[in-house]
Order: sequence, then C-alpha cells, then structure tokens
Amino acid sequence: MTISRRRFIESGLAVCAGLVGSQAVAALLPSGGVGTAVAGDATPSPASTDATGGTSAPYDPNAHSWAFLVDTTRCIGCGNCVKACKRENHVPEKPPYNRTWVELHVVEDDGSLVITSPDGGIEGFPPVPVGVEPQDVSLAYFVPRLCMQCQNAPCTSVCPVSATYTTPDGVILVDQDRCIGCGYCVVACPYGARYIVPSGESSPMGIPGVVDKCTFCYHRVTRGMRPACVEVCPVQARQIGDLDDPADPVTVAIKEKRTVVLKPELGTKPRVHYVGLESEVG
Amino acid sequence: MAVTVAGRTVTADPRLAWRAVRIEVASQPRALKAWFAFLTLLLAIGAVGALLSLPPGDEVFGTKPSFEWGLLISAYVFFAITTSGLCLASSLGTVFGIDRFRPLEKRHALLALFSLVTAFGVIALDLHYPVRLAFGAVLSPSPMSPMWWMGVLYFGYLALLVVEVTSMFTRRERIHNVSCLLASFMAILAPSTLGAVFGVLASRPYWHGSFTPPSLLMAALLAGISLLGIVFCVVVRFRLAGWERSQSLAVPGLRVLLTIALFTAFLVTGWQVLTTLYGGVPGLSDSMDAVLVGPLAPTFWIGKVLIGLAIPLVLVALPRFYSVGPLFVASVLTFVGVFFDRTIFVNAGQVVSSTAASGVVSMPFNTYTPSLVEIAIVIGAFGFFAMAYTLAERFLDMSEHTGDHLPILSRWGRHDPHGHAAAGPYAHGTAATEH
Repeated sequence: MTISRRRFIESGLAVCAGLVGSQAVAALLPSGGVGTAVAGDATPSPASTDATGGTSAPYDPNAHSWAFLVDTTRCIGCGNCVKACKRENHVPEKPPYNRTWVELHVVEDDGSLVITSPDGGIEGFPPVPVGVEPQDVSLAYFVPRLCMQCQNAPCTSVCPVSATYTTPDGVILVDQDRCIGCGYCVVACPYGARYIVPSGESSPMGIPGVVDKCTFCYHRVTRGMRPACVEVCPVQARQIGDLDDPADPVTVAIKEKRTVVLKPELGTKPRVHYVGLESEVG
Repeated sequence: MAVTVAGRTVTADPRLAWRAVRIEVASQPRALKAWFAFLTLLLAIGAVGALLSLPPGDEVFGTKPSFEWGLLISAYVFFAITTSGLCLASSLGTVFGIDRFRPLEKRHALLALFSLVTAFGVIALDLHYPVRLAFGAVLSPSPMSPMWWMGVLYFGYLALLVVEVTSMFTRRERIHNVSCLLASFMAILAPSTLGAVFGVLASRPYWHGSFTPPSLLMAALLAGISLLGIVFCVVVRFRLAGWERSQSLAVPGLRVLLTIALFTAFLVTGWQVLTTLYGGVPGLSDSMDAVLVGPLAPTFWIGKVLIGLAIPLVLVALPRFYSVGPLFVASVLTFVGVFFDRTIFVNAGQVVSSTAASGVVSMPFNTYTPSLVEIAIVIGAFGFFAMAYTLAERFLDMSEHTGDHLPILSRWGRHDPHGHAAAGPYAHGTAATEH
C-alpha cells in the first residue's frame, strides 16, 4: 500500500483534531470526564437534609475544609466504628477489606512494639494479643485508622486516568466509573487505606474491581451529618471538624493540643490528627 | 479468495486452509511438531487462566490490599523491559561500532514486537478495566502520573515497532531507517519511565529513589542480550536463515556483551545490598532482610544470584566454554534469572507492611502466593511469545536485512549484504573474526 504525503498529513491532522476535540469535550463535562457519574457518596446534594432530617442550605464545598481528630486515649477498641462503616458504605464483609479499622499497639518491656488488628478490630480485641505475655506489657492503646485525606496525596498524583481526586473541601474521592483497577494508588498509599473491591462483593457503586477508600462519609458530611464511625463511637474518640470554622472544637484541638499526624516525614500533610500517640505508627 | 502475506499466498477458504495446515503439519520434522505441541499446551493453559481472570475482582488472583501487585505485574515488567533490551542490545553494538547484529535485525525487531504485545496482553488481564484505560488516558490524561507516561511511551514504542517490522519486510528503507532510529530512543525512554512508576513511590522504600529507573535499564539490557543469545544459538544449531553470520559474528559478539552485562549486574546487585545494609533505613533495610534472609531469599540466592548471574558468568567468561552450547545455556539461565529478579523487585517493594489492617498479628513480612490462575496466565504468555516467534521463523523471510541505515547509525562498521565487514575502525578486526 502506498500513501501520498498529502494523504499522510491529512490523516495526521484528523487524528490531532480528534484528540483536541475529545479533550475539549472532557473539559466541558461536569467532574472532568466523559461518562462520569461521580461515585454515589461523592455527589453533594444541593437540597440536603441534616442529621435531624431537616433541610439545610445547599452545600458549598468551597466554604469548608474538613479534618479529623482521633483521640487514642479514649478509644476502647469496641469495633463499633468498623461495623458502622461497613454497613454505611457497603464495604465487603471479608476482613482484609476496610475503610476504617482499629489497631492495638502493645509496647513490651524491652521496647518492642506488637501491633494486632484481628479482622480489622470489628469484633473487638482479646484481653492480651496472641504471642504477648501479660507481664511483659508496659503500654497498650488502640489506634483507629482511616484514610488520611492527605493534602499532598500520593494517590491522586499517580492515578493515570485522574480517577482519584481531591474535592475543594479537602476530601479525596474515587470516581469508580473511571477507575481502571490498576492498583497504583493502593501501593502508593503509605497508610494502607485503599483496597480493590473484590467481585461478588458490594461497593458504594456496586462495581467490583475498582478502588474504594474512606471518604469521611462524604455523602453524610455534605448533608450536614457526621460520618458513621463518629456517630457510633461511644467515647467520642473520633471527631470531624471544619478547619474553616475557628470555633470548631476539632480546629481548636488541632491548634491547642499536641496532635500528631502519621508518617510526617513523607510530607503528605494528612488531615487526620491524633491525640495521645505514644509510639511511631506505621 | 486468497490474501498475500509476506510474499506467500494464503487461502481464506476454511476447507482449503485446514488442508494447508494438515499438509504443513505433515511436512514438519518430528522435533518441530513436538515443539508446536508443547507451545499449544502452554497457550491452552494460558487461555484457561485468561478466561478465569476476565470477571473484574481479585478472587482468582493471590493479590490482596496489602500486596496489590503480584506475579502478573512482574511478568509485565519482564516482557516490557525485554522489548527494550532487545533494541538496546543491538543499539549498543552499533554505538560501539560492533555492528554485528544489524543485518540480522529482523529477528530482534520481531522479538521486540512480540515481547511488547505479550506485555500488553498480560497487563490487560491484570487490569480490571483495560478499555477504560484506553479512553481515560486520552480523555482525562494525568501527566503527573508516571504510569500515564509509561503507557504513552510504550504505546508509541509499539507503533514504532510495527512500522519498523513492516517496513523491514516490505523493504521500505527510508521509513525503516527513521522508525529504527526513533525506536532506539524509545527503547531507553520507555523502561526508564517504567522504573519511575516504582521509583516515585516514597511509601515503598525498596522502590523509591533515582536508582530504580537505571536499574531497570540494566535488567532490560541483560534480558535483551540473553534472549538474542538464545535465538542466535538456535539459529546456528538448526542452520536457519543467516546462520553463517550468526555463528561468525553475532554469537561471539553476544558472548562479549553478555559477559560485560552479567559482570555489571553482579556489581550493581552487590552494591545495592551493601549500601542498603549499611544505611539501615526503616522499611528499606527490612525489605532487604526479606530478600537476603526472609521469604524472598530462596528466589534471590538461587534464582537470581546462582542461576541468573553466577553460573552464566562462568559459562561465558571461561575460555574452555567458548562454544555455542554453553552460550545457549548461559543465555537461558540469564533470561530466567532476569524473570526471578523482576519478581523479587516487585515483591520486595510490598513485603513490608504499611498497616496491620489485614493481619491478625503484625507479621514481620507481608506474604503473597501467586494463584494458579496467575501462574497459568504467565505460562500462556511465554507460550504466546515463543509460538509467535516460532511461526515467524517458520513462515517469514528471515534472510539478512540488507538496507543501509541513516548516517548516524552506520558511521561505524557498516556491513555488506554478504556478511563481509566493510568500512569503519573495527572493520579489520571484524573481518578477522569472520574468517
């Protein structure tokens, strides 16, 4: 087959025009994509209801900046938060798949750290972890874990199709209609906060093979409600707050208490702050 | 109805085609029949694995949230770097004026093409929604993502390889020369970007760092040289097209290149281990513990060091083994060793826990066992690769490519169509080797 120079240039221009045109279409569509129905829990409701069921003003994501406070001195490791999260967000029942989980950190007399999380702590914890002698325990405490909603998130920058993104109010979401299931964000997350939904299991969008993670229960927060895990915590070890509100208790606590974030050396700038951590948490 | 492919007329009538296949099979030597039967078996195993993996989800794979990248990613990386290695190996010869492989370049161009197609096939089965990738990469590109760049570069590389191979067999010299030159650049860019996919992940100390992309280039070179060694030894053994040139020029040249590459890989591995042990960086030294004395130790010491480096180095470096047989064995072992090396690389980056969420007790290391489906897909991938090349060797005209190259490529050591060394500073030495 022979091809003339004119024909070659015409074909090349046609391909370029197609690419540019598709980009323009993608930019014009909401949420930056073609065929994008943003994940079920990611769509702010313009006329939403608050926790009491009453209506509230339309949600403005630019008027908020969400943060989370975990008080490890209060957590009793009951697992209610894990159960509530699984129910609320259709998280698979199998133990390895969690949006939130609880770890028990045991520091022994010799300084060694033993971390346990049987089934993500959903059914609570045994009095003493397997393999640890009670007399050797010098310190023990629970550490609730969830997505850190990093301000400098590795997961958003590595996604090859921009399926994971940060909302204006600081929450990182996954467009499950766009996710290709490559798992790059799963291995990029320093906190192990992501998983790929197994087949035959439920997920917020009912799509297996895509990534799922904690969203601070965005569908609830944008309707004036608190996240499910915060709602059910019997000891208020978990709190969500708005950093744009100077009087918010969480904002005050982050400013005035000595809170820490996990793995600060990575520069991810988490929005989840911890109170009372006694050892470095991986 | 009939179509003409590479100068051969092929019927499109099913009955005639079946008859042609039967005649072809009947005309094959027994050893070739056995080889085809073996490859068909591998393909069948792979096809079963591929079908089982089609529904999206992780159940049929051994991967889990704490160990998301498994055997298929290792296989993808292996085939992807092999593609580049083939091009690099031949380019290296050109750069240093040892233009021994160029007249035989049909083989390494075809091998590179088949290897890249195999890599894409494996990664498509690992991705849960590969079609979305094709659209998403164009409609919502993410230039911040090394994986996006890797996809763009390898796709471009695939296109160039198709042009290169097609123009080579249809004797379109000008197009061939340009595509050859561009493919050489892409052969360096693509694997180093693949290295960056791992290298940018600060959360994985074993992968993180500027050392990762060049180390992938090193592995690519080793894979490419060893695969050329396998193929040219087979060409000489079975006296296939161009075997005289293979025996007199390509095989000795490959021995030198393989020796240098193996020795360099030995040094790189040694320094990588030593610097990691001295540093004691959390996460990094834990991963190296897993490699040296932990769950990855058998693969490292036996698969990589012994099979992949030490034995091949002895076989190619000692003068008493200077013959085609030992070079073939050394090439096979090196090729296998690179595959082990890639599995170690992918696994070591994930072997250290970032959370205890999936575990009962904080284990010293994450564990991962590939499922039968993953193993079947990889077996099928090797079967496809070997089958494609065997068919090409059997049915395509693999005689020497005789075209001239762009001045930049043929500055040193151009060869004439008959295999005699021509102009260039190494021409005298090459001719001496040949005769």
